[in-house]
Amino acid sequence: MTSYTPENIILRRNAVTALRFAMDPELGINIVDMGLIYGLETNEASKSIVVTMSLSSRGCPMGAAISGSAENVLIYGFPDYKVKIDLIWEPAWSYEFISARGRDELS
Amino acid sequence: MSTDGNHRPALYRLVIAHYLISAMCFAGLAVMMFFAAGNLTGHYFHPQLLAITHMAALGWASLIIFGAVYQLLPVILETELYSYRTAWLSLILFLCGLILMVYSFWNFEPGLLMQCGSFLLFSGILLFGLVIFLTARKNRDDIHQEFIITAVLWLIATALLGTILVFNFRYAFLQKDHLLFLKLHAHMGLAGWFLMLITGVSSKLIPMFLVSKEQKRGLLSWTYYLINAGLIFFVTDTYFFGLNIRTYFAALIVVSGIVCWLCYIAACFKSRIRRVIDLPMLHTLVAIILLSAGIIVLPVIVFYHLKSDPQAAKYTTLYGSLLLMGWISSLVLGQSFKTLPYIVWAKHYQHLAGKMPIPLPAELFRQKWLKVQFILYVAFVVAFFMGMLLKSNPLINIGLTCFLFVSLLYLANILVIIFHQPPTKT
Repeated sequence: MTSYTPENIILRRNAVTALRFAMDPELGINIVDMGLIYGLETNEASKSIVVTMSLSSRGCPMGAAISGSAENVLIYGFPDYKVKIDLIWEPAWSYEFISARGRDELS
Repeated sequence: MSTDGNHRPALYRLVIAHYLISAMCFAGLAVMMFFAAGNLTGHYFHPQLLAITHMAALGWASLIIFGAVYQLLPVILETELYSYRTAWLSLILFLCGLILMVYSFWNFEPGLLMQCGSFLLFSGILLFGLVIFLTARKNRDDIHQEFIITAVLWLIATALLGTILVFNFRYAFLQKDHLLFLKLHAHMGLAGWFLMLITGVSSKLIPMFLVSKEQKRGLLSWTYYLINAGLIFFVTDTYFFGLNIRTYFAALIVVSGIVCWLCYIAACFKSRIRRVIDLPMLHTLVAIILLSAGIIVLPVIVFYHLKSDPQAAKYTTLYGSLLLMGWISSLVLGQSFKTLPYIVWAKHYQHLAGKMPIPLPAELFRQKWLKVQFILYVAFVVAFFMGMLLKSNPLINIGLTCFLFVSLLYLANILVIIFHQPPTKT
């Protein structure tokens, strides 16, 4: 669980920024604005980042590319940290999760 | 978490082979149509038209669908393809059978070559079915899976009847008219295999590509049951009584199923968050329009057939062309540029995603070529189908010239994608 120390808050903010570089290859928008990121736990002390995320549907053909991309940006941005991606299906992703910026980009 | 991704080298080779051979068959089909232009307005039971139909239905459309299903099914079911060796053997048998069949239909030699061809084709299709059934044995209660499995069952039944018909050419053992079985064979293939598969797969992919808010799942169940019920009714009723007044009712049931699917697709389009419709999706829209046109022709055929009017044969050729060269071809011409670039992208770039700037899948082919392909295809549709209706050879020839260029542009763009090389680091 993320503790709200200044280091953790900075790490968390940087991790979110990094995740914005992970794109859905079909739609061309980032996975944060797509609303695919459900949770982010950062721990500066144990040097770990755990992302809880979902996909637009179970069996999404782009699924591996999207989750792999999330893992890649974090490993690349935080080489000294342990990165873990947890893929979950509850709650099921919904179009309401797309941010206003994401909707603008899609339209 | 496993991030080995969608890129599995064995699967990649198998899928790419299907896409490539299918594109080559499409070019071959366009050349065959060009040389058979004079016969396209005649009776559908003509050697060259039979060769063209099998090249279109099997070499062009079915092969690319096989490839797409091999790619999609393991992803939907989160499993591995049952056997790559069996899938390759299926492809080899299928191809050998196709070449023999098309050659012997074109020259109308209903002897040993055609019999061997049909047997090889049937074996290839049976092995394809085996791979699909064994891959899907871990049932996930997914409606798209039901569509695919049922479509494959119809394909096997179609191929079995086709093989029987080939042997019937020589030994004439069937008790009823050969053309009656031909109608059953054609509709099991068109509605059972193509329609069932296309409605199932498109209902998964279209809302994803459009980012649609609304997906009316209930309509999909209606689609599934109505198409199958209508087709089973048509096959049994026509087998026992031939085309009759009840054929309208069978057609109505199948068309109701198609309308449910169209309502599902319309809801996806209306509620889409992604407003821009790209060229592959435009091709899909044209496909839907041509399917609707084919449906309109269907009662006309039954009407003329019941009156024993020879116009029935003319409208049957038009109907078959609208579905094969129109609906299915337009769909494949568009969706190839949604699926293949992603498959190749996953091979070259998936592991690099997020580490460095990489192109998007849509940047792996020539957009301008696709634009020209789309314009030429629309020109083909207008000229060719007007030419068929008006029995105008100049219009048909203009249409077929456009079709030839469409096939060459498509093949060239497919080669650009397949042989894409990532830029080397400087």
